Amino acid sequence: MFKFRNLAAFTYAILLYGFIFLPVVVLVLFSFQESRVPIPPFNGPSLKWYHAFLSDGRVVEALYNSIAVALLSSLVSVILGFLAAYSLARHNIRYSGIIQGLLTAPLTVSYLIIAMGLLITFNTLGIPKSLFTIGIGHVVINLPLCFAIIYSQMGAHQANIERAARDLGANEWQVMGLISVPMLWPALFAAFFLSVTFSWDEFIIAFMVSRFDVTLPVEIWSMLRTGLNPKTNAVGSFVFLVSVVFIFLLDFILFRKIKN
Amino acid sequence: MKFKKQKISGFGKSAAYALVIASLAGAPGNVYAAKELNALVWCDHTDPALIKPFEEKYDVRVNLKEYEGTGAALAIVEQSQPGDWDVFVVDGVDVPGVVESGLLAELPQDQLPINDVFDAVKMEDMTFKDGKMYAIMEKFGYNVISYNKEKVDPADMRDLNTLWSDKYKGRIAVYDYYIPLMNLVALKMGIKPADITADVLPKMKEELFKLKENSVMIGDVVASSTALAVGEADILIGGGEWAVSVLSAEQPELDWVLPDQGGMLWSQSLAVFKDSKNQDLAIEFIKHVMSPEGQAALATSSCFWGMPANQQAKTALTDQQRAALRWEEQAGFQANSHRYFIPNAELDSQMLDVWTEFLQH
Amino acid sequence: MWTVAFFVLPFVIMGVYSLWKRVGNKLITEFSFGNYENFFAKSFLFESLTNSLEVTLLVTVISILLAYPLAYILAEKVPDRWQRIALIMAILPFWTSYLVRSYSWLLVLSEGGVISNFLLEIGLTTEPISMANNRSATVIGFVHFFVMLLTLTIFANLKQLPKNYRKAAQDLGAGPIRTFIYVILPLTLPGIMVGAFLTFVLCIGDYITPAILGGKRELLMPQTIMLQIERRSDFPTASSLALILMTVVSMVYLACARWLKLDRL
Repeated sequence: MFKFRNLAAFTYAILLYGFIFLPVVVLVLFSFQESRVPIPPFNGPSLKWYHAFLSDGRVVEALYNSIAVALLSSLVSVILGFLAAYSLARHNIRYSGIIQGLLTAPLTVSYLIIAMGLLITFNTLGIPKSLFTIGIGHVVINLPLCFAIIYSQMGAHQANIERAARDLGANEWQVMGLISVPMLWPALFAAFFLSVTFSWDEFIIAFMVSRFDVTLPVEIWSMLRTGLNPKTNAVGSFVFLVSVVFIFLLDFILFRKIKN
Repeated sequence: MKFKKQKISGFGKSAAYALVIASLAGAPGNVYAAKELNALVWCDHTDPALIKPFEEKYDVRVNLKEYEGTGAALAIVEQSQPGDWDVFVVDGVDVPGVVESGLLAELPQDQLPINDVFDAVKMEDMTFKDGKMYAIMEKFGYNVISYNKEKVDPADMRDLNTLWSDKYKGRIAVYDYYIPLMNLVALKMGIKPADITADVLPKMKEELFKLKENSVMIGDVVASSTALAVGEADILIGGGEWAVSVLSAEQPELDWVLPDQGGMLWSQSLAVFKDSKNQDLAIEFIKHVMSPEGQAALATSSCFWGMPANQQAKTALTDQQRAALRWEEQAGFQANSHRYFIPNAELDSQMLDVWTEFLQH
Repeated sequence: MWTVAFFVLPFVIMGVYSLWKRVGNKLITEFSFGNYENFFAKSFLFESLTNSLEVTLLVTVISILLAYPLAYILAEKVPDRWQRIALIMAILPFWTSYLVRSYSWLLVLSEGGVISNFLLEIGLTTEPISMANNRSATVIGFVHFFVMLLTLTIFANLKQLPKNYRKAAQDLGAGPIRTFIYVILPLTLPGIMVGAFLTFVLCIGDYITPAILGGKRELLMPQTIMLQIERRSDFPTASSLALILMTVVSMVYLACARWLKLDRL
């Protein structure tokens, strides 16, 4: 009886994993497709489509754009999120409840609606669309996240150490830079990492507030709309493999650090 | 305990460096080429075979934004700043409206090969106003019926009514562009596209709903032609050479036909925005696209094929390509097809509502 | 400040826009509730909301039903040192681009696609079948994404449960099933609710999955909103639709929050 239950459980888990991996396996497999139509029968393997996309300047450029936007907007989000969390946690500010609510409110609003709001606002104010506006959009969605993560990690324990530093003559900036930031390092890092992830894969905001300097998801979208070819599969697989390597490296480094 | 001030400023400095480096990483787009040309296009213009030679010759970077449907293009223009756009690829029949709203610049007639354009698609009534030329025809084709001849009877495809019968229920894809599709429905109803009024819309809606019951999907250029290519659908209404010719070498079983009730003629033209800051370069771009080589590349673009407007492109195309485009049969096709009917703003909005209802049905 | 500038301001502008209207290609800056009236008067606009709600509820329920057992198995049956790997494996597919993943599902589900071919091979069907371009394809695409999300939230919740709760229940004479129903399930409700709410918000506001997989057989709310913007720059109508969607989400949020609180009392 016990064995049977375990067997059923593992079968279930494996089936669900199969479901989860199915599209990814298909994606990677058909990125090596020889012909133009990415459906069975599989004829290949061929590196033709990888070559096609790596020699396509626009895709590579979009890749760079994505990296830049993700890193910069996440940096800004973390800094703003930290400052907001710091002032709310350490100082008695009036209406702090309302401010906190406002800061986290974007979490519950669909990206599409945020995108549209930003588009209308930029239009009304006459701000031209660019990578910069995409960055603004990504900070809007990532700031609440960073704030929430950092705020939740600011405990009384750190407050005491900070008070001690202040008693020893450190000014506000010194306390923040030399005490709080180093102590909150893991939270800051987690927030940054999550932000990068979200920004990296975000489509609808980038799509609506950009013109020609597009990020990778937008470029992929226009590839999907401008012709049938497995180049899309090749780009998708490439990004996937790079990210996986990146995660494992990161995981490895972080894991090491915590252990030490 | 003393705190070292330097350390803080050091931290600030490295943050600043990080910012600079990161922003440099985002910059390659700007240092790539000195000049830029921004064009608002249908997706067939995004093929490197068409764009690369021009970029290399003039050392410019051509930025392309693709759209589908003139309404969408005007929406993009409206959401931009004046001067954002240089070249506009716009449907031939929509030129007067765009000229009317004062968006286009006059083109130099003496520099462009107007006389080489097929007579039937010159459309001077559309591209000229008060003796001034505002656009030149570049490409055309048909919104008719594409099909897979291994799966359906080609003889059936000559009659639009079969698509409304039960014979091919669940085998039909619909091209998602309300103007040509509602025009085709009018033809099926025995109404000339130009005679569409608000009065026929209720009847047309019923016809659309019936079509919906027979259809398996509704999609834009790529989605609908993909559906046909992968076997998701066997018939594409609103399709034409544009949906199947691109695969003519690999999937010769995909074919297209003008039904007996007639077909819709689509046409694209090239124009320059009045607010463009690169007028001269924009004209050069138009010359490039209108040249026989440019025309051939455009006609066989990876997004969709179509007849080149310039007759001189004939020699630049291969026999196979000309056959897929039905070069020799053009005269007959042109005689039996209608231009898109362009409704006024009010009727347009009513037609869009009907179309949205059709999608939702 | 940032939030005010780029979050609150857009909403104010959107609110104003939603009261204007667009005729032809001109913006009429006259206040009226015409757009909201239209929403209820034109059935195809209203239906997009009901379609969205149906799809979202379906996705949320299926995802929870699929994810809970997996989270439970991972937390209880899998040895600790394998859990890490199992979790990493579970989120691995999410490092492909969201767009590409939807597109990939299209290839998997379409007629002539992988599933259809597989079923033909093993003789389960004799005709090629298609599962793409309809509502179930949209639902499958969504469920794929949210099963993992929910597995993570529920897993985290299960891990936080002190082991001795279950022992206590057993000592008091409860069998494994009763322990589960009366002890474990109620204690993991917060995890389920958080995950379910996230699923709801993300799902109802997503444009990509229905756009790629739905085949435009029907329109969901985000598609209708995008249509207004893309086809004719009709920001007033789009704004009113967006605000309606937001109101619905907020109502669900309040309901969730309230329900959770009541539950705790």
